[in-house]
Amino acid sequence: MSAEKLILGVPSKGRLMEQTADYFAARGLAFARTGHERGYRGEIAGFDDVEIAYLSASEIARHLQLGRIHLGVTGEDLIREHIADADQRCDFVAKLGFGRADVVVAVPECWIDVATVADLEEAAAIFYREHGRRLRVATKYMNLTRHFFARAGLVSYRLVESLGATEGTPAAQTAEIIVDITTTGTTLRANHLKILADGLILRSEACLVASRVAARPDAVRVAEARIRTQLAQFGATATIGADGEAPPRARASAGKRKRPG
Amino acid sequence: MTAESALRFEALEVQAEQIMGIFARAGYERVAPSFIQPADIFLDCIGEALRNRTYVFTDPDGQELCLRPDLTIPACRIYLERNPHADAPARYAYNGPAFRYQAEPDALRPREFRQAGIENFGAADREQADAEVLALILDAVRLAGLTGFEIRCGDLGLFRALLSALPIPARWQDRLLHSFWRPGAFQSVLRRLASPPAALPDPAIAALAERLDPADPLAAEQEVAAFLDAKALTLLGARNLGEITTRLLSAAADMREQPLSGHVVTLVEDYLKISGTPDAALAAIAALSKDAGIDLAAPLAVCRRRQVLLREADIDTNALHFDADFGRQFEYYSGFVFQIELPGRGIAGQIAGGGRYDGLLASIGAERDAPAIGSAIHTERLLASKGGAR
Repeated sequence: MSAEKLILGVPSKGRLMEQTADYFAARGLAFARTGHERGYRGEIAGFDDVEIAYLSASEIARHLQLGRIHLGVTGEDLIREHIADADQRCDFVAKLGFGRADVVVAVPECWIDVATVADLEEAAAIFYREHGRRLRVATKYMNLTRHFFARAGLVSYRLVESLGATEGTPAAQTAEIIVDITTTGTTLRANHLKILADGLILRSEACLVASRVAARPDAVRVAEARIRTQLAQFGATATIGADGEAPPRARASAGKRKRPG
Repeated sequence: MTAESALRFEALEVQAEQIMGIFARAGYERVAPSFIQPADIFLDCIGEALRNRTYVFTDPDGQELCLRPDLTIPACRIYLERNPHADAPARYAYNGPAFRYQAEPDALRPREFRQAGIENFGAADREQADAEVLALILDAVRLAGLTGFEIRCGDLGLFRALLSALPIPARWQDRLLHSFWRPGAFQSVLRRLASPPAALPDPAIAALAERLDPADPLAAEQEVAAFLDAKALTLLGARNLGEITTRLLSAAADMREQPLSGHVVTLVEDYLKISGTPDAALAAIAALSKDAGIDLAAPLAVCRRRQVLLREADIDTNALHFDADFGRQFEYYSGFVFQIELPGRGIAGQIAGGGRYDGLLASIGAERDAPAIGSAIHTERLLASKGGAR
């Protein structure tokens, strides 16, 4: 990995990789793999000072957090899950309009007495008295869930980490409720689950994100400015914040950031 | 801090052994609870604040374990192992490390710290045990050379008694007690109960709730089951029909209930503001109950008897500071609670704390509630605070 090149982290497989490549290609930034076809390095035609690192979507979040890559494309859900102070460490450059998914709280449809998070807290208190244990929440979004429930005042629960088939956990009796991503809600319905009325935790989509902590030699700053300018010509630089609103700081700091020395 | 310097560790252990000597002479048997504990019990009992700070891990067999975040529950588990029926008195003392996650660990907030403490189980005379435990902890910190400290105390049993004496439906009392540990949430529950209830959002479910007969829970359950069948909703997971029915019944009852009066809300808020010497505070609570026309004679008599016993144990009760809302930090406390603190030192000044937790044994597996009170001394803070040293 060259110290003088800007590193752009891109999802290494699946729809997200294809859509990312299409998005950049449509804006005059065509990706090409270097080395053999299955390699994990790439470049952008006409941008010698940019290197593409193909990584898994969640690794991209971690690399941004640690400053190992300058820019990265991944889901906002993963950024906010893996980076505790995402708005400090990262600059959300653009929402890319694909990879849309909502992170939601879902409960069994048969819980006709539970429609909101406040209902859930009361149901949880009764559950604790009945069963002598807390309601279990299965999720891979441990941090997003913790923060959301803390804000909503829900305390009588236990998190159970689930790395796959989360929507099946209530039927399998390994959890009572889930926090998971959904696009159409079909999978949730098929598993007899419903979303709480105020259970939307995050409206996520793929984002282009800059790491605020990555070292930026002059060459990298030049490269980053070129990419941002190129994308801006296509109107893709709307900055975004936690609630989809543009934080003024994120917009202002992009140009102002200076490397000491 | 603990392992940073051998000299410091030695001083800490010398101090701890003195303290353990006091506990031993008072008949407290030394126990050595395991550092590694089953995660379930802790995560279920300790409440939100500590839960997020407990180190949890999975062993190669897939069992969820944790590093003990305090020594009370580990001591309780030893007691239950030896007394499965939780029916015999026992006095335990311990000295050892506890572990809590800190976002930014420093000398004041170490992720590993040491506690010396006692737990007193099964004492039928609760007030006597309350006085005994506080007196012993005071002996211990005084022997270690602590001066200039204050003793804050409260009684969560009194608050429970106040709620049950007020014209508040039992299920609303449960809601208030449930949120008591989080003052912000408590305020909003109190406000919600004082305003007209919102109807259930789904009219079909609202109509079902209306139809249910509170006097016949079994028939109500059958009606809910029939409703689920008709809507082709399968019952899923551990939460059962009875729980769903209970909440629908309580939603229907809420609709019929008069919201809490402003008078009751003010009374609860005024109660939580009561503060002063225990005698003055008890007098204020007595006056408040008289004005409100409610009977708190029995719980107040208990508190007054404790005052007498504390004085008999050579404690200057006028030096105690009673706050009616003190004790909101640990969800398992149920009665008398206290903390020994150096004023103006913030968290470093919180030297020791303890309280009664009569419901905890049952919640970790005992057949029934059993009287229990305990207290632990933060020995590193105690050592650091002596002689005005930082």
